[in-house]
Amino acid sequence: MSDHDAAPDPMDKAYAQAEAVLSEDSERAARRERVLAAVAREPATAPAVSSPPIRRSAWRRGGWLVAASVAGLSVLLTTQVYRPAPIRQQPAPTTPAVSAAAAPEPVVSPPPAAEAPAQAPKPAPPAIAVAPRGARPSLGDLSAAAPPPAPPPPIAQAPVTLPAEAPGLSEVVVTAHRRESDAAPTLAERRAEPGDKSAEAKASARGTLKPMRQPDFVASPPPLLSPALRSSAGSPPDQAARLRDAAAAGRTAELAALLAKGVPVDASDADGETALMKSIQADHPAAAALLRRHGASLDRKNRAGDSARDMATEFGDAELDQALGLDR
Amino acid sequence: MEPDAADDADLLRAHGAGDPHAFARLYDRYDRQCFQLIRRLLGVAHSDAAEDLHQETWIAISKNAAAFDPGKSSFPAWLFTIARHKTWDHFRRQKVAVLSSAQDDAGMMVPDPGQSPLEQVQSRELAQEIIAAVEALPLEQRGVFVMFAQAGLSLEEIAQVTGVAVETAKSRLRYARAKLRQSLAGERPAHV
Repeated sequence: MSDHDAAPDPMDKAYAQAEAVLSEDSERAARRERVLAAVAREPATAPAVSSPPIRRSAWRRGGWLVAASVAGLSVLLTTQVYRPAPIRQQPAPTTPAVSAAAAPEPVVSPPPAAEAPAQAPKPAPPAIAVAPRGARPSLGDLSAAAPPPAPPPPIAQAPVTLPAEAPGLSEVVVTAHRRESDAAPTLAERRAEPGDKSAEAKASARGTLKPMRQPDFVASPPPLLSPALRSSAGSPPDQAARLRDAAAAGRTAELAALLAKGVPVDASDADGETALMKSIQADHPAAAALLRRHGASLDRKNRAGDSARDMATEFGDAELDQALGLDR
Repeated sequence: MEPDAADDADLLRAHGAGDPHAFARLYDRYDRQCFQLIRRLLGVAHSDAAEDLHQETWIAISKNAAAFDPGKSSFPAWLFTIARHKTWDHFRRQKVAVLSSAQDDAGMMVPDPGQSPLEQVQSRELAQEIIAAVEALPLEQRGVFVMFAQAGLSLEEIAQVTGVAVETAKSRLRYARAKLRQSLAGERPAHV
């Protein structure tokens, strides 16, 4: 092989001349009209060319932030809105602050936190449906000093520090997660029948929030996260990138581990390429087969409009086809 | 092709912004090469589909204008990538078995008869013979040859379009030329 191959060849010239001889201008003009008319009939194009990869990756970052924020806020709302009515007969549960202040006054809030909520904005966004204030207290109501006749449950005392610290979204999320882990056993315990003191009932109640019955004023819980967001929220983008890298390198053990962690199998890079596409391009049938078993799409397309199926067809490798379950 | 790359991107951008003439200008630059690539890849048996695939290719270009990244490939390379995939899609729909690379390579073992150039294509009949010889090439060789000889893509661009190494594209081009020489020399020894 030499550089001579890259230079123009008389055969190339002969072919170009042959095409020119056979070319019909009238046909070309008619074709031009048809194509341009068809293009004009098509729906408007996507936004102009200005650096799409950057925009896409920026959206992905924003998407993560939004998903995490929504998840955090949904947990926050869940712990507030779905909270059952206070049960006075229950002994004061775990929180040390409550036990210290239990006897004389049902609600004890630390002084700085009790004052702060009056100035701080409420963290709950208006777009998410919240039960009427009359039915259940909001976060702001709970953090304010409540009158003695209607003492808020102990769990309501935890967020009083939230507005005073900072109204930043990420902190809201972090606080919400912290409160969820703290609150779950308490709420579950309070769900137990007042007369049931057995250790088994408490243990089973501590396990999860799932059995909690919805209050009557909530017809159905709002869909706080779509399935797609839920799946992507579980794994950071670098894990998806690791999945693609592992697919490109044929590291099936790493692939299996990442997939077992719940990394989305069809997560794509800036070019719209998935792990399955990477494995096909790098000719790793075992990796491709593993990804297919985990539901990787053959028909999802990259930015160039090519699907994994297209790539496999183009590659034409029998072993790869077999791994992908393609019948040719 | 190389110097026009930025202009092509400008035209695509203008098309995306609603300029009604930008796309026509872009089309006029490449329609001939695009159509001929599709036409030759299809061969005689599927030539009827060439017009449709050509149209589908340009519609895809229009719809995906925002996805074109001039930093990653030239416009013609992008265009021919799409055109080639449209052709492959057609073959798949028609259940046509596309020769794999391995089969292609086996078919490439043709001795090079040496330089026997066609200096000029003087007649329509000879032109048709050349085209027929090109269409008789294995599919991968045919694509590389047409993109290099007619569309003017570099070997690097062809490698990008076809998803193979540059060396592979180069060897396909070499074998295509050798086969054409052999084929045309066998048919028209007096002229070649």
